[in-house]
Amino acid sequence: MNKKIGSLPLSAKISGIFISANLFIFIVDIMLFLGINSMSVELEGTYLENRHLNELTEALDDVQRAMTEYLDSKSTDSLSDYYISEQRYNELSSGLDKQVTNRAYDRMERNISFMSVDYLEKVARTIEAKRGRNVERYRVQYEEASKLYEYIRSYIRSLNGERFVSNSERYATLSESFRKFEFFAMAVMVVVFIASAFVIIRITRMLIYPLQALARSADEVAGGNLEAELPKSVNNDETGRLTAAFSKMMVSIREYIERLRESMEKERLMQEKELMMETHLKDAQLKYLQAQINPHFLFNTLNAGAQLAMMEGADRTYEYVQTVADFFRYNVRKQDELVSIENEVDLVDNYIRILNVRFSGDIHYDRQTDERLLKVKMPGMILQPIIENAVNHGIREMGDRGHIQLKVYRDEDRVFISVKDNGKGMSREDIDKLLCGEWKYEEKKGDSNGIGMDNVIARLKLFSERDDVIDIVSEGIDKGTEVIINLPLEKENETDTEIKSA
Amino acid sequence: MVLSIILLSVAAIFIVAFLYFRINISKAREDENVRLYKRYYVMICDDINSSFWQHVYQGAADAAESMDAYVELFGHGLNEDYSPEELMEMAISSKVDGIMVLGNEEDEMTALIDRSADLGIPVVTMYSDSPSSKRCSFVGVSAFNIGREYGRQIVNARNEKLRIGAGTEDADQDSAEPVAVTIFFDDNNRLYDQSVILSGINDALSREAADAEFLIRTVAVDNSNPFSVEESMRDVFMDEEVPDILVCLSELDTTCAYQAAIDHNMVGNVYILGYYDSEKILNALSRNVLYSTLAVDTSEMGRYCVEALNEYVEMGNTSQYFSTDVTIIDRGNVSSYLNSGGEAYE
Repeated sequence: MNKKIGSLPLSAKISGIFISANLFIFIVDIMLFLGINSMSVELEGTYLENRHLNELTEALDDVQRAMTEYLDSKSTDSLSDYYISEQRYNELSSGLDKQVTNRAYDRMERNISFMSVDYLEKVARTIEAKRGRNVERYRVQYEEASKLYEYIRSYIRSLNGERFVSNSERYATLSESFRKFEFFAMAVMVVVFIASAFVIIRITRMLIYPLQALARSADEVAGGNLEAELPKSVNNDETGRLTAAFSKMMVSIREYIERLRESMEKERLMQEKELMMETHLKDAQLKYLQAQINPHFLFNTLNAGAQLAMMEGADRTYEYVQTVADFFRYNVRKQDELVSIENEVDLVDNYIRILNVRFSGDIHYDRQTDERLLKVKMPGMILQPIIENAVNHGIREMGDRGHIQLKVYRDEDRVFISVKDNGKGMSREDIDKLLCGEWKYEEKKGDSNGIGMDNVIARLKLFSERDDVIDIVSEGIDKGTEVIINLPLEKENETDTEIKSA
Repeated sequence: MVLSIILLSVAAIFIVAFLYFRINISKAREDENVRLYKRYYVMICDDINSSFWQHVYQGAADAAESMDAYVELFGHGLNEDYSPEELMEMAISSKVDGIMVLGNEEDEMTALIDRSADLGIPVVTMYSDSPSSKRCSFVGVSAFNIGREYGRQIVNARNEKLRIGAGTEDADQDSAEPVAVTIFFDDNNRLYDQSVILSGINDALSREAADAEFLIRTVAVDNSNPFSVEESMRDVFMDEEVPDILVCLSELDTTCAYQAAIDHNMVGNVYILGYYDSEKILNALSRNVLYSTLAVDTSEMGRYCVEALNEYVEMGNTSQYFSTDVTIIDRGNVSSYLNSGGEAYE
């Protein structure tokens, strides 16, 4: 039953409540109305008997009048009057009670009834005698009838009085209970009103409660708590369905978020893997490149070349080939390792020497290094690309006027390495681009080491974990460029031990 | 759930209250226990309100109750006063089952009784008879008996008067003097056959006091209009010769007589022999205003009337005459009557 009601639509429920409350009040009203109606009928009937008796008296008077008139005038009108009134009186008097009881008015009714029969007979005989012109007889009959008429009248009057007294008592009793009933009716109305109001409030609350619970949950969810407790759906009506849908939606959202998180995790893993693969690929590429020219073969070849030059007494050739061999050895070995500044400076020296051989000593190279700082650690293959850059983009076209200065000095706890040229210089925009890593070389020059400035800057930043590790200063076009690297000094000790262990 | 409980409880309250009001209404409708009767007898007398007739009626009503008959003191509920003859006419016209009437010997009453008997309504005369009518029975006190009782009381009263007189100087003189006795008779002579009562009195006097001399005088009380009895009584006391003994043959006469005796300061001088045992009369008796009173067994009279009627209706015949007992109440036994609420027949 309850389930059945529970599955009804909300509109049906609300209409049901109001209709049944109204129906209830309506039924109570009808009952009260019926009660009042029956009581008023009862009240109306109280003096009914008196009214009947009055009618009876009137009818009796009519009979007597008609008879007297007929005796007076013997007119047909009065005769027909007599017949009509006689019939009416007969009807009325035959309706009287003929029982003998201990109630005075019952017996009076009985007596009136019998006397009326007697009276009507006498009247009939009187009329008959008059018609038959029996003067003596109709006078006697008239006397008797009149006497009876008086008796009956008196009897009816007395009965009327008697009835009136008893009816008045009854009326008093009735009207008293009528008043009580009125009070009772008022009380019932009040009770019904309170009861129906109570019921409506109860049921409405029962219907609205799931909505309220839903609203609370929705507020909580809106406040960001996705883990809010979900309301339970009790009924199968609209609110029930709404609650169920809301719960389902929340569960779906949670699941979706979970799935999203999982897929993001997966994607991250994938990217990591991809990155790894790329690294490996690069590694493989490098290995491949390395494998193409076996360094030992290269060094041995170059060494052989050097020894040959020495045996032939070509000292400068020997020196040159030896320098090239050293350069390549370093280039292959030290690319991804920490090295000392000294190593780097040596490499730069070698590089400049090679270049000067290649370009017949065009580059003026000047070095000022603080010997104490040469053991400081730094990433390998940094200075050489900077120098290469300075040569290629700075002073290449200057012929023998090109000048490069390398300085290693200290300022407080930092070590500065400066590479300065007097070449073309750089615009501010190009410097910024270069520092931000947005600079792209159009093509790799055939005689480059293959390591660009961007790589250098990126590795330096990674190494020092700060952005200002490198700075490029240029006072404008044709005013030269200075690249300044600053490194922390603390690394010195470590450097020492490393070198020792090496 | 809650709704149905509230609904049920309100409905229950309503039904209970509704039943309560219905019962109230039906109570109002039938406020007394109505009992149906098979027969309807009426009692017709000259004075409905006198306690004598009330007692007779009560006796009749009580007796009728067991016979499934209702006795009505006819004319009781009517606004106007009607004479017994008129009431007879009404009763006949109403076709009652039986009539008890205070009879008299006049033609009108006799004719009415005859008419009633002809129409099949039995009539019992009570207290006084209509001997020449077709009444089926007469219930009454023998007038001769009443006369004899009064005669005895007259003798007793005389003896007492003599005893008191013996203490005075002129005792002898008094004893020789005849005793004056005045008897009040109803003017229209309805109650008793005057001569029968007188002969009863004479009979008693000659038996009990043959040697004494009595001057018996009868006074006809004017009963023709409402207050004439009292006037006639005063006349007696205004006379120069106030009688020694007064005999009253009705309740009203007795009441008027003792009141007049008190008013004329004649208490003790006049011996009043009363009639009936109403409370007033018994009180007067206990205060020595009356000498004695004669009580008819009213209840028995009523019972006899109903019994006679019922017997006639059922059997078609009944005894022609029922005699009711007569009791003398004097100072000696008045207390017992007073204590029993003045009902002599108990």
